[in-house]
Amino acid sequence: MSDRPAAEREPGSYRDPSGFVFRREGVLYRQVNTVFADDWAAFESSGLHQALVGEGVLVADKPAAIDMAPEQGAVAVIQPDEIGFISFPYEWSFSQLKDAALLTLRAQAMASERGMTLRDASGYNVQFREGRPVLIDTLSFERAREGEPWKPYRQFCEHFLAPLALMAHRDGRLGLLLRTWIDGVPLDLASELLPRRTRFSAGIAAHIHLHARAQQRHAADAGKPDSGAAPRSVTMSEGRRLALLDHLRRTVEGLRLPAHGTEWADYADQTSYSAAGTASKEAIVRRMLEAVAAEGGRRAWDVGANTGRYSAIAAAAGFEVLAADIDWAAVERHYLALRAAGEKRIMPLLADIAEPSPAIGWANVERASLLERANADVVIALALVHHLAIGRNVPLAMVAELLARLAPNLVVEWVPKEDPMVQRLLASREDIFADYSAEGFRAAFARSFEIVDEAPIEDSRRILFRMRALS
Amino acid sequence: MRLVFAYIDPGAGSLIIQAIIAAMVSIPFFFRNAIRSAFERFRRKPADGSGAANATITPEDSGAAPSDPE
Repeated sequence: MSDRPAAEREPGSYRDPSGFVFRREGVLYRQVNTVFADDWAAFESSGLHQALVGEGVLVADKPAAIDMAPEQGAVAVIQPDEIGFISFPYEWSFSQLKDAALLTLRAQAMASERGMTLRDASGYNVQFREGRPVLIDTLSFERAREGEPWKPYRQFCEHFLAPLALMAHRDGRLGLLLRTWIDGVPLDLASELLPRRTRFSAGIAAHIHLHARAQQRHAADAGKPDSGAAPRSVTMSEGRRLALLDHLRRTVEGLRLPAHGTEWADYADQTSYSAAGTASKEAIVRRMLEAVAAEGGRRAWDVGANTGRYSAIAAAAGFEVLAADIDWAAVERHYLALRAAGEKRIMPLLADIAEPSPAIGWANVERASLLERANADVVIALALVHHLAIGRNVPLAMVAELLARLAPNLVVEWVPKEDPMVQRLLASREDIFADYSAEGFRAAFARSFEIVDEAPIEDSRRILFRMRALS
Repeated sequence: MRLVFAYIDPGAGSLIIQAIIAAMVSIPFFFRNAIRSAFERFRRKPADGSGAANATITPEDSGAAPSDPE
C-alpha cells in the first residue's frame, strides 16, 4: 500500500459501514468492506449488478486492485464511472426529483426479481448523467430476507414522497426544504404543511399523514421493552411488500404540478428586444462560445439559464452544460423539454447565484456548496448582471469577482440602465446605482477579467463581452 | 453470518404503519394482478376449438405479456 498515492475519503461517505468512497490522485474508488462480503457476492451472483448497469439504472464500475483500499477490512475495491457534475436533491425541479424517485423504485423492483432488496433510498444516491437519473451507490443492495418489511420505506417517504407531495399540492418551491433537512423532510412537518384535501388522496393519506401519526405514536414507546414496536417483530410477506412498493410507485406517478406552475405563456421568451436582436445575440454568443471551445473548453455553466435557449447553443458548440436558474418553474420546464428531446448534454439546476447552495451536513462538508463544485471552463451570464447589480444590490466589482471564481472564461451581457428590463427593476425603487453604466461595468470587470472580444447586440443597446479571468 | 443490518433507522412507527398499509393495498393489488393474468390467459388461449382460423398466436400476442401494463 505504501507506494500508492495518498487516499482521500469523500466527506459524504461515512454513514454506511459496508464501504466508502475515496479518491486517489483525483480518481474515484469505492472500498467494499468484509462485513458486506456475502451481500456483495450475492449482488454479483444474482446477476443484479450486471442487470442494473446494463439498463442504465446503476452507474457502471470496474474492479480495481484490492491494495488500492485505504483502510483495513476490504473485500473489494471498485472504480465507478465519474459523474460530470454532482447535484443534490434540493437543486432539482419537481420532475427531476420525481424521476429520481421512480428510478429508486425501479431499482428495487429489479432487485426483488433477483432475491435482493435496496438497503436505503436516499435522494443523494441518485445523480443525473446524460440527462437521466442514475443510482451511484453500488453498495445499496443486499439479500432480501423472508418476512422482512421494506427497510428504506421511511427514508423513501422523507427523501422523495414528502417533498414531491409538497411541491405538487402546496408550492413548487418547497423542494428547498431538503436543504434544511439533509435526512429528508420530516413527515410530521409535511403532514402539517399539506392541504387538508390531501387527506382524501389514498397515497398521501397513507404514506404521509398516517405515516407521520404512526411515527409520533411509536416514538414514545421506542424505549419500552415490550412495546411490540421492535423492528424485528414486524413481518411482512413478499406479496405484501410488492403491493406496498406498487402503491408507492402509483402514488409518486400520480403526483403532478398544478398546470400554472409550468405552462406560463410566453414565460421563457419574455425579452425586451426584437427578432433581429435575438438573432444577433444568438450569433454572437455562438461565436464567443466556439472561440472558448476552440481553446479546449468542455464545460459551461449557464447562470440564469431560464429555459435554456443559450444552453442549447452552448451544447451545440460542444459543451456539457449546467443550466442554472433561480426559478423552479423555468428549471422544470427546461428539464421536461430536454427529457422530451432526449438531450443529454444539458443539466438543468435550481440555483440562485446570489445565494448559491451552501455546504451542508456533518461538519459542513458532507454536501459541498455550489461554488466548491465549480468545474466549468466558461460561465455564460446573459441578462444576469442587472438582476444582481440592481435587483440584489451587489456592486459590479463583486459580481465580476464571483464570476471569475466560477470559471476562467466568461461570456457576459451588459444591459444598460435605459433598457426596459432594467427600468422594470427600477420601477418601484429609488435609483441608487450611480455606477451602473457601461464605463462603470468595464472598470469593475477589469479588476477580475481582461476583455477578449466584444460586440453590440443589433437593435438594442446591450453589449456582449467575452472575457478571460486574470490569474 | 450477517454483520451489516440496516445502517439506516427504519423507524418503529414506519415499520408498523407500512405493514398495515401493505395489508390494505395488497387486496386491490392481488385483485388487479388476478384480473390481469386471467385476461392474458384468455388472450393467449382463445376459446379452444372454436375460431380455429384465428387460433394462431400473432407476434403482438406473444409479446403482449407486459409485467405492468400501466
